[in-house]
Amino acid sequence: MSIKTLEKVRKRLEERPEELKRAREDGRKVVGWVGYNVPEEIIHALGFIPVRIAVGGDDRLVEVGARYASSKTCVFIREIVGAFAENQDPFIQQTDFLAFDATCLQNYRAAEVIEYFFKKDVVVLGVPRNFDWDEAKQYFAHEANEFTRLLEERAEAPLDASRLAESVALYNDIRKTLKSIYVFQAAKDNVISWEEVYDLIQAGELLDKQEYLSLLQQTLAELQELQQNPVIEGDDGNSRLFISGSLIPRGDRKLIGIIKSVGGRIVGDDLWSGILPHLDLDIKEISPAGVALAYLNRTPHAALPYLDLASDKRLKKLHELLSESKAQGVIYHTLRYCDPFTFKAKETKNVLAKSGIPLLEIHTEYAGSDYEAMKTRVEAFVEMIKIKSEITEEEGVLADA
Amino acid sequence: MGTQLFRYSEDNKEKFLESDNITFNDGSVVTPEEIWHYLTVEGPEKYPGSFEVNLYQGNRASRDETLPTSLKTHYLGLTFSDRMEKAKDRGKSIAFIQGGQAVDPYTAADTIALRPGLVNQWYGGLEHGNDINKANLRRRKSKEKAFHDMSFEACQTGGYEHVQEGDLRIDVIAPYTVLRCSDVSYGVEAHRHGPKKDVKLFNVDYPLRYQADKPWAIEYFAQNLRRLVGTLDEVTGRVTTEEDVTKAIQLHNEGRRLGTELAELWWSADVPPTNSADRASLVALGNLEVHGDVQASLSVLKEAKKFIAERVRNGVKGHAVIDNPKRIFILGSCVGINGSRSEDAGAIVVGRDDQWSHCTSLVEEEGDPYYNLAKTTLEYPYEQSIEKRAHWTIEQIRKSRADGVIFIHNWGCNTQAAVARPIVDIIKRETGIPTYIHELELGGLQHEQEQNRVNAFIEML
Ligand code: SF4
Ligand code: SF4
Repeated sequence: MSIKTLEKVRKRLEERPEELKRAREDGRKVVGWVGYNVPEEIIHALGFIPVRIAVGGDDRLVEVGARYASSKTCVFIREIVGAFAENQDPFIQQTDFLAFDATCLQNYRAAEVIEYFFKKDVVVLGVPRNFDWDEAKQYFAHEANEFTRLLEERAEAPLDASRLAESVALYNDIRKTLKSIYVFQAAKDNVISWEEVYDLIQAGELLDKQEYLSLLQQTLAELQELQQNPVIEGDDGNSRLFISGSLIPRGDRKLIGIIKSVGGRIVGDDLWSGILPHLDLDIKEISPAGVALAYLNRTPHAALPYLDLASDKRLKKLHELLSESKAQGVIYHTLRYCDPFTFKAKETKNVLAKSGIPLLEIHTEYAGSDYEAMKTRVEAFVEMIKIKSEITEEEGVLADA
Repeated sequence: MGTQLFRYSEDNKEKFLESDNITFNDGSVVTPEEIWHYLTVEGPEKYPGSFEVNLYQGNRASRDETLPTSLKTHYLGLTFSDRMEKAKDRGKSIAFIQGGQAVDPYTAADTIALRPGLVNQWYGGLEHGNDINKANLRRRKSKEKAFHDMSFEACQTGGYEHVQEGDLRIDVIAPYTVLRCSDVSYGVEAHRHGPKKDVKLFNVDYPLRYQADKPWAIEYFAQNLRRLVGTLDEVTGRVTTEEDVTKAIQLHNEGRRLGTELAELWWSADVPPTNSADRASLVALGNLEVHGDVQASLSVLKEAKKFIAERVRNGVKGHAVIDNPKRIFILGSCVGINGSRSEDAGAIVVGRDDQWSHCTSLVEEEGDPYYNLAKTTLEYPYEQSIEKRAHWTIEQIRKSRADGVIFIHNWGCNTQAAVARPIVDIIKRETGIPTYIHELELGGLQHEQEQNRVNAFIEML
């Protein structure tokens, strides 16, 4: 069974660079954004075309990036720097200027390095680490205003409140529709896979937002027609896996491919390249600060430290998503030198163990050399989950007898 | 062949005994006689590793024994662990901080602030009788614990291995985070899952990107400092006033001024008045936190200036410095090169950006002390954009008349590693001085290969 709209999305993605090129010829500007708390609605409302620069999976570009940003920078950032160095990526080629945030220090460093070596115009949004303090929110509100001012300068026009309201409404609709679609992938007898939804989410990072919403709505309509009542069940005979950890951007499908190849079924994620940034984003006030604060109030990114384990929103959200998706195990993906996530791997494992959820950490980079080793570990994990659920099932049968 | 040990020669004793006492925070005093006794009797027994002649660790068979400050900083280093233990027994509060930050707010709140290197020094000194290898092995073993609980890619672990194992009585983990270090905030956070629940955790959030010009960023950081002092007060049970903070600023400004003057005096000399290691330990006194006792550092610093001025005046060359050495300036966090081996290869280290950046940053003494501290801290040259940092560094390179620049970063230090290339790029472009980027293995003994690379660079100069 295939969802026809997904084909359309793929096609539109292929056409998109050319479309961006034409839009720029018509005087529009393309903003490449990189980060975890960049309030995209502001960029959109100013008439810019936002595209997320998140590429991965190319070890050669990682090597190139290392020449500029050292081999000790995370693989993801190295590849981005490498991609700017080569300037072959069709989306990067179309960017007029860049917007970064300082959520992750390495992301911030990438902004500096790209600005220096490739003479790119970069706007950076400061992000507070004590994000739950009132003072931090005030600081971030100021940063959002400053960020907007810098964008306005580049737009040569002020931000119009009604345009911002329209952008917020559009993005809210996108988020709402994505959430509805996401349920289908985790359902029993699913007609769309998590992998397809994941690609669909990432398509939204590049496509025109209005068109993207319409494509999402068409996808949802198709899904509803094929499966009126998606029900998520835990014991559907699959090894139901959840992916967490460092982001998995476009171009990097190594781990996802391995999971599939060994018979695991992904039913959820809390990746910053997946559904997570679209959740719990509640914009209460139509203003740059209002939008930015809503971003900051989501589940915090792992680069923002939080000092009390018991009330950690990231772990709470993880538990909530695990329970919604009825996942039986977590594959925790950590990229080489991605400190925000690697530092928390053991802790997350221990926390989940208390709820009886196993976690497998896969520490990797974009080279193919660890493919077999990864496969063996993932396979064993998938097998272990299968056995575990069979035992649970048998115990259930015995208890019923 | 047994290990060769260095011993201070009695020939210099008399001159040393003429030097000043060291006065500590608690008002206690140690006389040169007592220091001499410690360095010649007690110290070698407790810490043979520190007297071991081992060029790989920069320990020569002879030292600059005619420079009393050199002996005093050695004494303060050797007694560090005992002094911290005693401070704890007396109920003094101790905080874990980050390198590269000033400690004025901690001093104001009557708290000893220890950066990672000093925390390791405290731990190292708890066990007596170790040679260099044994001490290193013990250090590595303890680090393993942190690697296991966090990440083997960690450089900075926020003192986790010492605090969570209960080895060190640290009351509060409260560094300025993100300032120059990629790892420290994750290290602080990791304590939340450790068994020790009584250690307080606090992130002093150093905002990033052109923040020194933003009033809201200064205010936010000032608020962080106010909350920091509040947290330190919760531990000590006292109330730190704004006046206390102002006094601490004045005290530290005195240290920073003296430290800067000392470095400039050193640079003004035609021949280097000390070797690399002595220069580093003298200038480090300027931040007053290096020996875990602000007053002790200040008293040694004041005296040091006198000795260096005299040497400069008389054209005295530092111990084991060759004629016309190649002058090297070091960049990067928490790092250095092996001074004596580099000297043997024909060089001398004439400066570093780390520690020096905040030593040169005087804090305004009038007005809201928190705001003033925040403003200065956000202006640290080391923490500025690539271009700004590079230009400040160029100024230091010129002042120190360096012939070559080495940017060093630790293996797991993403933040410094990421900007190494652009910074040396600018320096090379604008000064024509040769530069070299050097990666250090994390926390191990210094390796032959590492030194070979440094020596090759020196040779090229
Ligand atoms: S969160 Fe990890 S992957 Fe993302 S920029 Fe930071 S270090 Fe890189
Ligand atoms: S070397 Fe770098 S990562 Fe390590 S403690 Fe220093 S600043 Fe932090």
